[in-house]
Amino acid sequence: MSEAMLIVTFEELCQSQQINEEWVFEVIEYGIAEPVSGDSGEDWVFDTNSAHWIRKAIRLHQEFESDWVAIAMVINLLKQNEALQADIQYLKNRLERLS
Amino acid sequence: MDFKDYYQILGIGEDADFKDIKKAYRKLALKLHPDMNPEEKAGEKFKEIAEAYEVLKNPERRAEYDELRKYGGASQDNFRPPPGWQSSASDFEQGQGQRDFSDFFNSIFGAGGFGGQQSGFHANPNTQRGGFKGQDAEIEVPVFLEETFSDDPKTIQFSMPAIDNGQVKQVTKTIKFKIPIGVRDKQRIRLKGQGGPGHEKGENGDLYLHIQLVPHPLFDVEGHNLVLTLPIAPWEAALGTKVTVPTLTGKINLSVKPNSQTGQKMRVKGKGLRSKNGNGDLIVVIKIVMPEKFTEQENQLWQQLADSQRFNPREQWSNQNV
Repeated sequence: MSEAMLIVTFEELCQSQQINEEWVFEVIEYGIAEPVSGDSGEDWVFDTNSAHWIRKAIRLHQEFESDWVAIAMVINLLKQNEALQADIQYLKNRLERLS
Repeated sequence: MDFKDYYQILGIGEDADFKDIKKAYRKLALKLHPDMNPEEKAGEKFKEIAEAYEVLKNPERRAEYDELRKYGGASQDNFRPPPGWQSSASDFEQGQGQRDFSDFFNSIFGAGGFGGQQSGFHANPNTQRGGFKGQDAEIEVPVFLEETFSDDPKTIQFSMPAIDNGQVKQVTKTIKFKIPIGVRDKQRIRLKGQGGPGHEKGENGDLYLHIQLVPHPLFDVEGHNLVLTLPIAPWEAALGTKVTVPTLTGKINLSVKPNSQTGQKMRVKGKGLRSKNGNGDLIVVIKIVMPEKFTEQENQLWQQLADSQRFNPREQWSNQNV
């Protein structure tokens, strides 16, 4: 049976071929994701959803060759969009049950 | 394999300069990027344009590609690089993003295109072992609310690419894992080493399970709380009643107070979803429903009620001049 984990360390994240340390520092600096613990790079621990946004930010940065400010804005909007979609779905379900 | 016409893929002429190439790529990328376009075909097309751009944006790689294209490459259905072909433009820097290139690309610019470049990376155990970590993968996993109460492992099946005799093939994998207590909708669970295969001696990538809580016929999820709509008859709302309500772990009895209203909430502690800091609550929301038909006798009773009523449900309107 595989062990289900909810965290990723900085080192583990950077082992991925698509991710280099410098980009993770940029992502953190621009507030795209935050570590759940650790003071500096080597100690950083991320939750799995933050790791997802870090990977996505880096991929968009590479694929669109955009600067980090634009990427931070895009990720922020994508997060907002995801939260709004979930809210809409919840409210739709509630409305259906009450009508 | 077929020869890929990167110029055609980007919709540009072979004399396009770097500015044109970049413009064409960005325009198509915005349209076909998986984050902008959920269709599966779009993802495939995006890979093609990303690959075309990867080659044409680099003058050395473009020159090599042009050479192959010029000397008959484009007319071959069954393309093979010329004997002894070796690219001098295959030294991709590590971490350039999308590495999922086609066989055609790999046949020209070297298998994998990774070139062993690991500069700028520190403390990477895979480097010390001489290989590269496999790709991380993510799949969506539907989870029923009932399953979040189970301590038994959940089994999932999915297909993913694997290398078999040097060929990339889709294989079906079966994995068992325990759903963590307190799992939330849209949360990602990491299964270490269950992703794409490592290259050479590198570790396997990780598999991320994107949890999708399946909508329940009775309960809605609000954080760790469950919301249940409780239909009651008008007379139950007026006089109060005792009802048996379902929870995810069995039935419970609830008292509805006299003079209850639609939308009124009752909180049952600890009957929500599991969480590490104690279970969430069950929130029962009252909904007053009317029978579809009444008998003659019932209608008379309603009439009596109407005659004696001093309640105006539209009282607020009277202040609005409507």
